[in-house]
Amino acid sequence: MNSSFWTVVGFTAKNKIRGKAFLITTLIIAVIMSIAINLPYIISQFSGEGKPTAVGYLDSNIEKAKSNLFTHTRIAAMLNDYYAKQEKPELKLVPIPDAGSAEANEKALKQAVADDEIQGYIEFSPGKESGFPAITYKSESLMESKVSASLSAALQVVKMEAVIGGGGLSEEVKALLTKPIELESVQISTVEGAGSIGQGKTKEQQGMDFGTVYVIIIMLFMAIMISGQMIASEITAEKSSRVMEILITSVAPLKAMFGKIFGMFLVVLLQMAIYIVVIVINMTLPQNADKLGELGIKLSDVDPVLLTYSLVFFLTGYFLFATLFAAVGSIVSRTEDLGQAVMPITMLSLAGFYICIFGGMNNPGSMLMKVCSFIPFFSPYAMVSRLGLSDPPLWQVWLSILILLATILAAGWLSAKIYRAGVLMYGKKPSLKELGKAMRAYK
Amino acid sequence: MNALSVERIFKQYGDKTAVNGISFDVAPGEIYGLLGANGAGKTTTMRMVLGLIYPDSGTIRYEGKSYGKEQLQGLGYLPEERGLYPKVKVSDQIIYLAQLRGMSRRDADQNLRYWLERFGVPEYYGKKVEELSKGNQQKIQFIAAVIHRPRIVIMDEAFSGLDPVNVELLKSTVKELRDSGSSILFSTHRMEHVEELCRNITILHRSNPVLQGNLKAIKKRFPRERIILGTEDDVKGLEKVGGVMNVKRHEYGYELLINDEAAGRPVLELALAQTNVNRFEIMEPTLNEIFIKTVGESHE
Repeated sequence: MNSSFWTVVGFTAKNKIRGKAFLITTLIIAVIMSIAINLPYIISQFSGEGKPTAVGYLDSNIEKAKSNLFTHTRIAAMLNDYYAKQEKPELKLVPIPDAGSAEANEKALKQAVADDEIQGYIEFSPGKESGFPAITYKSESLMESKVSASLSAALQVVKMEAVIGGGGLSEEVKALLTKPIELESVQISTVEGAGSIGQGKTKEQQGMDFGTVYVIIIMLFMAIMISGQMIASEITAEKSSRVMEILITSVAPLKAMFGKIFGMFLVVLLQMAIYIVVIVINMTLPQNADKLGELGIKLSDVDPVLLTYSLVFFLTGYFLFATLFAAVGSIVSRTEDLGQAVMPITMLSLAGFYICIFGGMNNPGSMLMKVCSFIPFFSPYAMVSRLGLSDPPLWQVWLSILILLATILAAGWLSAKIYRAGVLMYGKKPSLKELGKAMRAYK
Repeated sequence: MNALSVERIFKQYGDKTAVNGISFDVAPGEIYGLLGANGAGKTTTMRMVLGLIYPDSGTIRYEGKSYGKEQLQGLGYLPEERGLYPKVKVSDQIIYLAQLRGMSRRDADQNLRYWLERFGVPEYYGKKVEELSKGNQQKIQFIAAVIHRPRIVIMDEAFSGLDPVNVELLKSTVKELRDSGSSILFSTHRMEHVEELCRNITILHRSNPVLQGNLKAIKKRFPRERIILGTEDDVKGLEKVGGVMNVKRHEYGYELLINDEAAGRPVLELALAQTNVNRFEIMEPTLNEIFIKTVGESHE
């Protein structure tokens, strides 16, 4: 009885995996992933990150002659001192010789940027009230937040040091003054929930939860998108090549359909496993491992409870969408019409994904997320985000799972009927009425 | 017991009747012919027999039992159009289909090799179906239908798209199947195949069975109305013999249309009186003529 189911599973998976398309897509995506992970390192190799960014300033003769505390040249010198003391200097200030007139100076500075001698330059203008001048950072790129943030912090320190330098403050007091304020937000739970928050987790663990949720949601989305299309197009291809007629005279339609879905699931799992291996290998490469350490990513921090729930939602979500794709594939007779026909299901999956990535990740406790976590097509995404990022009550989680399971059963039953009826309807896409009639015919 | 017995099955699509109360029985080791113009309801009937669609009313019994999984595995189906995976190797898909019909992998493989050998194409074992010519695909399709040694084989236009050599090859295979006890439900447009293969036939016309029964009996029912006369020299006055309707002159002699079989003797006597006769035959009606007559008549 079950042997023919496994025969279908094996045939589906084997043919897909042995196909060139599978090999090529997997390879291409694996390469893209490797490049993406190594991109920061590659860029740093090219741009010579680690070396300080060169920022120019006008080595003005007039300013040098002044005796104020904050002449332009003195500020630049103090900044240079500040950066020189850093372990890895972020910036270095490069004096551009005075060319005489204001216009000639500007030209010289711009020329220096054009020649890649400096990344950008700072310009001084008289400050509004204090004796400290206002400073503009000019560069070719639109948003140099990194440089300007660094400059701003450095200037603050430099200014303070200069001002209090003569005030006879001890090093201790100075350190106290410059030390940043610590503010940490900790989430608590008021009721016992199934979520992973509220058990006194460290920030790193919370970060890992966030990461787990992110990965699961993206994996679910990818699995549905990749294999949903494959399931639908395989069934349509079987229909258009008329293998279907022989197939359903040999095996029960329900088995044929679920065998195909399950076979495809194995293919997707294999594909995902390959990607995960590629990611892990890349992440453990020495140059990337440092970066991960800095971010505090440790696999041992993954919450097993969250992972288990996530897998449950991953599986249920996958099979729900897969049965729908199978049903659509069996209605369409030509592969050309398939794209249009699967659109509603693709949209449904896309909607769930977007709601969670953009609505749920920031605000997992919102009403939108609560409602969505009970709507079957959104709940695999929504409930996983809530589980990872907030603290939903246990009964809600199980209710959501039950609703999902019930929907899968209903969708599976309906899809099997559509499959049975649809596979023999050729020609134009059948109307709902025709389909209903055909379905009633196969009791 | 009949291998297959179909009793008064009806099928309607919307307000259009596709099959209107057809009944027939196929004995073990018999080839049953299902004839009809395009759209007469042959394929619908076959699909109902296969369990692909269910009749609105009427029953179909397989060796006395109704449709079930066991019966399903005893069926073989050769569809009118190709039903194979174009991008999958011949061996993979034939073994797959055989396994689905309850065969073990090893038996299926063995049988496939036997059949490929039998058709003289063992090199197709590892080829993809899309690489084969249409006629050779049909051979593979044929193997797919019979590899699991079905008790009942349903063949829809089995010989379409084949060259004469391959038609002979498949025809002899079909006869072998019949002789080994399989029952075959066979549909075609080619009347000469039916005359050669089928014992009993049903002619369908616009969803209705219009002519049914033993092929020889059917032929007896239709009057013999053609005489082939082969002579050495010309024969004069043939058209004047009583009962002769029309005389056609051919290279070998004459073809006469008669409305009375009794016209045979005077025609032969007249010919013998004038010259030597090489050939004389009062022709049985061909199935082709019967078909056109039956289907044409009900046109009016």
